[in-house]
Amino acid sequence: MNQSSIGRSLPRNDAPAKVTGRALYPGDIGRPGMLHMATLFAGRPHARIVGLDTAAAGAAAGVVAVLTAADVPVNEYGLQIKDQPVLVGPVSGKAGADVVRFVGDQVALVIAETEAQARAALRLIRVEWEDLPLVLAPEQAMQPGATQLHPHCADNIAYSYRIRKGDLNAGFGAADVVVEGVYRTPVQEHAYLQPEAGVAYIDEAGRITVEVAGQWTHADRKAIAHALDLPVEQVRVIYPAIGGAFGGREDMSVQITLALAAWRLAQRGVRRPVKTVWSREESIIGHGKRHAMTIHTRWGARRDGRLTAAEVRVVADGGAYMYTSDKVLGNTTLTCTGPYEIPHVAVDACAVYTNNVPGAAFRGFGGPQGHFAAESQMDRLAEALGMDPVELRLRNVLTDEKLLTTGTPIPGGVGLTETIIAAATAAGWTQDVAGHWQRPQTEWNADDADQTDGYDQTDNHNNHDHQRHQRSIASSIRRGIGFAAGFKNVGFSFGYQENSYARVELRGESEIEEATVYIAGADVGQGHHTVMAQAAAEALGIPFERVRMVTSDTARMGDAGSASASRLTYMAGNAVRGAAEAALARWRNEDRPATAEHVFLAPKTTRLDHDGQGLPNFAYGYVAQACQVAVDMDTGEVHVERFISADDVGKALNPQQVTGQIEGAVVQALGYALMEDWRTRDGQVLTNRLSTYLIPTVLDIPARLDPVIVEVPDPNGPWGARGMAEMPYLPAAAAVCAAVYDATRVRFTEFPLTSERVWRGLHEPTG
Amino acid sequence: MQPFDYIVPHNFAEASALLMAGNDDTRPLLGGTDLLIRVRGGFIRPERIIDLKQLPGMCDIVRSAEGWLVIGAACTMNQVAGHPLVRQEYELLAQACESVASYQLRNRATVGGNCCNASPAADSAPALYCLEAVMEAYGPSGVRRIPIHEFFTGPRCNALRPGEFLTGIHLPPVPSRSAGAFNKLGRTKIGDISIVSVAVWAEAGSRKLEAGGQSKHPERVDGATRTAADGQSKDAERLTWRIAIGAAGPTPLRAPEAEAALAEDASPEGVARAAQLAAEAARPIDDIRASAAYRRGMVAVLARRGVNSVLARLGAAPSVVGGQP
Repeated sequence: MNQSSIGRSLPRNDAPAKVTGRALYPGDIGRPGMLHMATLFAGRPHARIVGLDTAAAGAAAGVVAVLTAADVPVNEYGLQIKDQPVLVGPVSGKAGADVVRFVGDQVALVIAETEAQARAALRLIRVEWEDLPLVLAPEQAMQPGATQLHPHCADNIAYSYRIRKGDLNAGFGAADVVVEGVYRTPVQEHAYLQPEAGVAYIDEAGRITVEVAGQWTHADRKAIAHALDLPVEQVRVIYPAIGGAFGGREDMSVQITLALAAWRLAQRGVRRPVKTVWSREESIIGHGKRHAMTIHTRWGARRDGRLTAAEVRVVADGGAYMYTSDKVLGNTTLTCTGPYEIPHVAVDACAVYTNNVPGAAFRGFGGPQGHFAAESQMDRLAEALGMDPVELRLRNVLTDEKLLTTGTPIPGGVGLTETIIAAATAAGWTQDVAGHWQRPQTEWNADDADQTDGYDQTDNHNNHDHQRHQRSIASSIRRGIGFAAGFKNVGFSFGYQENSYARVELRGESEIEEATVYIAGADVGQGHHTVMAQAAAEALGIPFERVRMVTSDTARMGDAGSASASRLTYMAGNAVRGAAEAALARWRNEDRPATAEHVFLAPKTTRLDHDGQGLPNFAYGYVAQACQVAVDMDTGEVHVERFISADDVGKALNPQQVTGQIEGAVVQALGYALMEDWRTRDGQVLTNRLSTYLIPTVLDIPARLDPVIVEVPDPNGPWGARGMAEMPYLPAAAAVCAAVYDATRVRFTEFPLTSERVWRGLHEPTG
Repeated sequence: MQPFDYIVPHNFAEASALLMAGNDDTRPLLGGTDLLIRVRGGFIRPERIIDLKQLPGMCDIVRSAEGWLVIGAACTMNQVAGHPLVRQEYELLAQACESVASYQLRNRATVGGNCCNASPAADSAPALYCLEAVMEAYGPSGVRRIPIHEFFTGPRCNALRPGEFLTGIHLPPVPSRSAGAFNKLGRTKIGDISIVSVAVWAEAGSRKLEAGGQSKHPERVDGATRTAADGQSKDAERLTWRIAIGAAGPTPLRAPEAEAALAEDASPEGVARAAQLAAEAARPIDDIRASAAYRRGMVAVLARRGVNSVLARLGAAPSVVGGQP
């Protein structure tokens, strides 16, 4: 009858409005009588505010109000623990709220008739600072006697994990080969297109309403209500179009400050909307970053390739506040031993407070750091054992029967083996008669040397001599291939009861003419609202075009949870499916309209015990990648010529969107691996604009990027789907470094692999 | 962004008077791709911006009666790079202009503005140094001509005096047997400011030089005469080399020792030695894009590649180039 709506690359339901410019992003929204807000950022990494004089700013032309810490009822915020002041200042009910702990701490808000007036008045605010000692290196922040950054945390260790499985000494005793390494991973900026922005106003029902780009409407609402000391019903959060997120919008930026402004103005009888737009420079210092980590690790294996032991110590730079450091670190703790069964394991991991920009959620959520160490160790082991890297991985890979380091099996449907074979096969690996895997015997694309020539980019001549010249440059090029694999949890974990709400309303008479899906999940650009319409259409057996979406408004629907942890398709997909099936039952029971809501509860997980044992997650996704790089031995330039990413997505509900996520994740990960070079000096951010913090351009991405979709169904995912948005990010840096090693015989344990870092590595003696 | 008055002057004298009267709160505008970013960032707060693009000749590329190529100061990078005369005779400049930022930006950015902004990393500058461009300025005392190497005086500093503005870039005629190569390194493959750049130029014969190494201006040489003259004397078979380095010093720099060495010996060993001499001519600093050590190393690599590329284009037999039978 009806063609199935899932498994098809149906067009995005948000595309027409976005392509024509009709879609409004937060910065595009205007309302009658609107005022403008500007934010005074600390600009100092560690200092106490002993005096704050806003009189001149308050008297400046066009200024309606100046707000400080004294105006915040409950001056604290934090997704995990409330350790961050909303505004830092001397008059506040919160202990320690007079101290700024990174340059992006917010000190005051100016609300004025125009943005220019608000920004001009910022310069009139007098702040009396008492500078405090800087704590910038996590390893030093943990030492006894280090300056304490938070009243609640004597040793600056924000969070720690510990895993003990088996007997480490026995494990290393059984090893024929032991490899050891220290890996350092960099900070990364999200660099979403749309800097933080929003509009706040009092709605017709008297609610403080904030239209903003975030990742979890209901968590934003809760944070605002807490700081304003109001019941959540008094606060409303709406997401218009969102210009990218990648984890960087999980924590609060303008949400609380905008709500505070609209509310305090209304209390003073000024019922006018307030808008704010951060500049790119403010955005880059003002939101959290991917955690920099240092990972010391030692692995052992038997001659037959079987892993025997792994010992890992992780130190993560948590920055000024907790944000989600505890959860990020949890993922690093699980992934720093890779997607393998290892009988004897000890992991010690901690996240440490410093005066750097906070470590926060970022696609992969601790997984990329853990995988870089684990997969680099596997590449070293393969070399030490004289074994093919694919072969080595397949001998150790997790399956349905094998145990994680937490002593529990992965919930069923582990597609790792299939995924590794898919990536290896696509890359040209073959099996010999004995079944052993062998790397490709020839370079993938001999022709690519000309096509991807970036080494003498301005030459346009095409004569014979020119070609000879090109070959002379080409002679400085060395090519290599690399392989890596990975896994990551889907959804919130470690004992949190995952849940997601959806409501479906069916209208029509003899047949369903229109189905309306109410879902709060954030479409951050990943296509969530399209895929939810597909899920509803499939569950109802109606055409996709008949589904109408009402989305992302806390006043109109329940909590779908966050657009993070690769969880929305899985969690909200199950919620929509459940609501649609319940509504359909009422429709068949002659209800008109037929309405039903559904809260999907994911399988239970547990906290880890003292030895890190337990069932931390209910679902996982899997990835394996191969790449070919060309390294210019003279300049150190690394160009990724071809990249293959095989991803077990369970079931691709919309293959085009899955492909887009794979391509986007790989490009973002290649920026992390090769280029994105976060720089600070004394806690100040040197790379606070996109001309100094560079992300890949269209010419920097691989000439060929081949996504391979693998479908091993998840037992509990909607139609077998598992989350997939982060997984193609996880092992990419390790794959690139393995390929660079293959090309140059120089092992990089720290990245990004900028031309200069590679050039130094090639010219300096290595250990 | 701080608001400012936008003024379009009617003639050169009015433009000069406006700039003269305004001091630091008045800024000339060509493409604006550097200026407006600095205004938006709050680094400068001009009250008046004088748009010079509409003055006569500012957007024209013409051959002068003396055979020089005259590029109006407000010609865009894409306009210059795509111009037939530039592509035929000054292709080195086309290479450099095409390497600047992105295509869209090159539709606004001007070669004149690139020089006036006087970033050490200005990509058009090394090519203009190699071509021995002469910058023409208009000011209170009339027209003044400034050799390119005197025009750049330091980071973001040029030789223009109060009330003066750049009107054109004059390129001396080049022998038909000539070739250039521009190479640069950036952190991205498109759009980034150069970590380092090197332009290399070689032409048959040696032009009469005035003190300071600049070609006489004006110089009467027409194309037909040049072609006929080529190959007539042994001297014309010798190559004159010029190497200019960008982003590795307070201004773009020539590498005279490397140039002289190449004129004597352009064998592979000679090229390697010249590349090393070019690296020694660089005066790089550490900054956020690269260290001084990397820059110096890359000057040698890019100089070597540039010289080899020029040799390949000229199809020069090593015996001639090296000056040995």
